[in-house]
Amino acid sequence: MALKILSVDDSRTIRLIVGKAFKPYECDMVEATNGEEGLVVAAREKPDLIILDVTMPVMDGVTMLTKLKADDALKGIPVIMLTAESGRENVLHIAKLGVRDYLVKPFKDDQLIEKAGRVIPLQKKPVPA
Amino acid sequence: MAADTKQYDELAKRYGFAPVPESVSRLTQLVAQQYADLDEIAAVIQGDPVLTKRLLRVVNSHATCEAEYTIDTVEQAIMRNGMGGALILAMGTPLALALQKAFQTMLGLKLEQFPAHQLVGVNGEHMRGSIGFAGKVNGHVYLRMTLQSARTVAAGIFGCKPEEMTNADEIRDAIGELLNIMTGNFKSNLCDSGLDCKLEPPKVGITDDYSTPIERGGGIERIAFRSGAIHPFVEVTANPWNG
Repeated sequence: MALKILSVDDSRTIRLIVGKAFKPYECDMVEATNGEEGLVVAAREKPDLIILDVTMPVMDGVTMLTKLKADDALKGIPVIMLTAESGRENVLHIAKLGVRDYLVKPFKDDQLIEKAGRVIPLQKKPVPA
Repeated sequence: MAADTKQYDELAKRYGFAPVPESVSRLTQLVAQQYADLDEIAAVIQGDPVLTKRLLRVVNSHATCEAEYTIDTVEQAIMRNGMGGALILAMGTPLALALQKAFQTMLGLKLEQFPAHQLVGVNGEHMRGSIGFAGKVNGHVYLRMTLQSARTVAAGIFGCKPEEMTNADEIRDAIGELLNIMTGNFKSNLCDSGLDCKLEPPKVGITDDYSTPIERGGGIERIAFRSGAIHPFVEVTANPWNG
């Protein structure tokens, strides 16, 4: 069964780049544009991995992460932060909440795949004959 | 605090963060103390040839070459421009590095920095993105480029040809994300130095207005870049110690 990855970012550009990065792999992408939407999609889709931005309107990534980790049904989903912010206070707070990795924008596809591959068993799609 | 720093350093190493140059970090920390020693600030700038060159370029903004500089020492430049000028200088480095890294990683393009006064053809309609920041330091970051450059940049990010980029919202979103990446990086440096601030959402649109409002009592730095026909142009305005 294909893995499911949830990309939570208010930027369509980043969601598109993330989707393209995982395209060669056996996984289905689902998206959300802010933390509030991200929690709803996470509860409904039960993704295998969440790629989460920090600064977003409506609900930011830190608040979403806090709520996710407080929810028994969702707290086991691994999260990789994908953000332009790497300030000390933010990083320490986020690390305490519990994330599997942290990637600072700008990023290359292969950096994201490498970090994701350490968390979930990514499999390449077979090349069409 | 020391434990936090150690823990952060370990996390930064594990996550693979690119460090801010030591001189820039030190300069921001010094300027963040409102009554910092000017001699100490001068010493940090003098120890970094890139910062020295940029400071002298900022204070001699009307000169077209170094031979025309009327202020040619770091001490004179700081006396003339004050601490606000030193802060702008410290802020410009993470902005410039972040934009260059974004172009390199997202577009495979090497951006070369060049003196802003050499920028030609800056007129007419262009794409302008702006992000405000507010807190212990207030200001704005602007990213400007021609409409064709914006289309080419967005196409590079989305992996298509410029002529296929027909959706104006997608172009604005791509330029807004570049701006987000730049300002997110420099905001982290400001906050780590004690100048806590929050970013406002980016605003991106087409304009023919090249005027840049400067914060009251603050300063401005203009940084121009080029890569082939793409000429992005960054401005940062700031006024510290409003908190």
